[in-house]
Amino acid sequence: MDATVNPAVRQGQGIFSRYRRVDTITKLTVIAATVIALIYILLPIFWMLKSSFQTAAEIKQLPPKWIPDQIRLDSYQDINLLIPIWRYIFNSIYVSAAAALLATLIGTSAAYVLSRFRFPGMTLILVTILVTQLIPPITRVFPLYALIQDAGLLNTYTGLILSYAGFSLPFSILLLKGYFESSCPPEIEEAALVDGCSYISTFLRIILPISLPGLAAVTIFTFLNAWNDFLWASLLLNSSEMKTIQVGIGDLTAEGGGTRYVSMFMAACVLATVPALIMFIFVQRWLVSGLTSGSVK
Amino acid sequence: MSTISVRNVTKKYGAVTAIPDLSLEVTKGEFIVLVGPSGCGKSTLLRMLAGLESITEGEVAIDGEVVNNMMPRQRNIAMVFQSYALYPHMTVAGNMGFSLKLDGADKAEVAERVNEVAKILALDSLLDRKPAQLSGGQRQRVAMGRSIVRDPSVFLFDEPLSNLDAKLRVQMRAEIKSLHNRLGTTIVYVTHDQIEAMTMADRIVVMNAGTIEQVGAPLDLYDQPANRFVAEFLGSPSMNLIDGTISDSGTVVLGSGLELPLGASLRAGAEVTLGIRPEYISLSDTGGMKVRCMVSVIEPTGPATILVVEMGDEKVTIEVTGRVAHRVGDFIDIWMAKEHCHLFDTSSGIRLDQ
Repeated sequence: MDATVNPAVRQGQGIFSRYRRVDTITKLTVIAATVIALIYILLPIFWMLKSSFQTAAEIKQLPPKWIPDQIRLDSYQDINLLIPIWRYIFNSIYVSAAAALLATLIGTSAAYVLSRFRFPGMTLILVTILVTQLIPPITRVFPLYALIQDAGLLNTYTGLILSYAGFSLPFSILLLKGYFESSCPPEIEEAALVDGCSYISTFLRIILPISLPGLAAVTIFTFLNAWNDFLWASLLLNSSEMKTIQVGIGDLTAEGGGTRYVSMFMAACVLATVPALIMFIFVQRWLVSGLTSGSVK
Repeated sequence: MSTISVRNVTKKYGAVTAIPDLSLEVTKGEFIVLVGPSGCGKSTLLRMLAGLESITEGEVAIDGEVVNNMMPRQRNIAMVFQSYALYPHMTVAGNMGFSLKLDGADKAEVAERVNEVAKILALDSLLDRKPAQLSGGQRQRVAMGRSIVRDPSVFLFDEPLSNLDAKLRVQMRAEIKSLHNRLGTTIVYVTHDQIEAMTMADRIVVMNAGTIEQVGAPLDLYDQPANRFVAEFLGSPSMNLIDGTISDSGTVVLGSGLELPLGASLRAGAEVTLGIRPEYISLSDTGGMKVRCMVSVIEPTGPATILVVEMGDEKVTIEVTGRVAHRVGDFIDIWMAKEHCHLFDTSSGIRLDQ
């Protein structure tokens, strides 16, 4: 029997070719939308970066000069004369890392218990955790300030670290609970127990390595939240050498950062971005995996 | 090889009793299958043997030693889980050698033993892969390999084949059976698939609602079920069960008024259930009880044909070898082999013709 081909299909004019054309238009639209979104997001960052290499006069020039004539590093050298930027960056790293560590430790323990055991009051605990997410953050200012003051933790890193860890805990617990339930089924622990592990070695040798993406997601989430915070750091710390980088940059604005020292201001902003960016690049593979792991089994 | 004794074991979850007073003896090297519908307590019993579930009352002994308060690792047992439960961050070799590593075996010893078992299970080319890179059948073999490597005294299998497709299940069934023949280790195997139970077990334990309905060799249970539950549970298609009453003349009168010459020794008026397996009903005169009925369903399976016929108000399943020429709606005569008919007490379900 001879095989025949529909001439319309052979010439690429059949129903499939129409779909292919529609598909190409869809692809181009998506690409165009993505490029516009990227420009929208990246333009301020590019502006910050190029301005940090320009003089104040060049920055204010109209029409704007998008590419600097010369890469000047003066702003990066001089910024330390205006504010103790390295001290502020170190302070930020310290409080952010400590808060991330604390939130991960507490969040892991709480999420593990909530995902593995059934006990009276468990639903209430979960609902309470969820409800805390629904309260507008600004409403916490007075009660939390009073609490930190009463505990004698005003103007201490401990007070700030406890606050940051507390803010991140509800999200961390919910994320890790879902992670433990989807990625670490109880059978894996049981298999480890049968294989010869104790409860502690099961946690250390099996649960912890499997949960690394989830832990990384929680760690970076807390770290970035703490790193980017301005409100609490300016409320709870008042000693100048204890300030975090965000508060430091805020002070710089008041001292001519937006006018005379605009190039130094931009340099400070670039420096404030770099540690968070390095951390994000370092753990982004785990972060993406950790955030999506609970969605599909 | 070990013996297992389960003595008057009870398992309660709060006010709910999952297993009330169960006793069972497993002999050395035996392949015993716990079978029953979902929720009958078979997996709970297996987990109590493994030490993954506490025992409310009673004792479990392995080789005469009571293990109630021992951790799983102290019991020298290995378990294969339904979901494989492989460690996703370890390679196949890592998974298989994990227990030996925990026991403090040196690297060379672990590698040697892992390679040895990998060869048996045809996993030697996959040792460097992670579980995510394996097919379902390969994962199942790794789970088995992980258990074999330890050379345990008892293997516990918790529905290990239920995640596999039909073809692979048949293949793995044969592999597990040949593995048992080779190693001779005592195996306790949980399944809800009665075909698995029939084909693999030395003895089957049929469980229902936390209790043992019957224990015995597969064909003994098939031919001589202790009660209606066992009769119905074992066999596919399952046994035909038709309610009736014993007449004054000792015959069984079915609901539709049909009278069958059975049950002569039983009290007149007793309510009974007639049971006969589909393969013991014939479409040709084999000397059994002849009944006229109408064909309502025909299911050709290739080597056999399954017919559902209407016998009065009752539907009866028949399994005949080969193909049939009948069509739906045809009236046909069937012959029921009298010697293969069972009578069960309708209220208690106990078999009366023992």
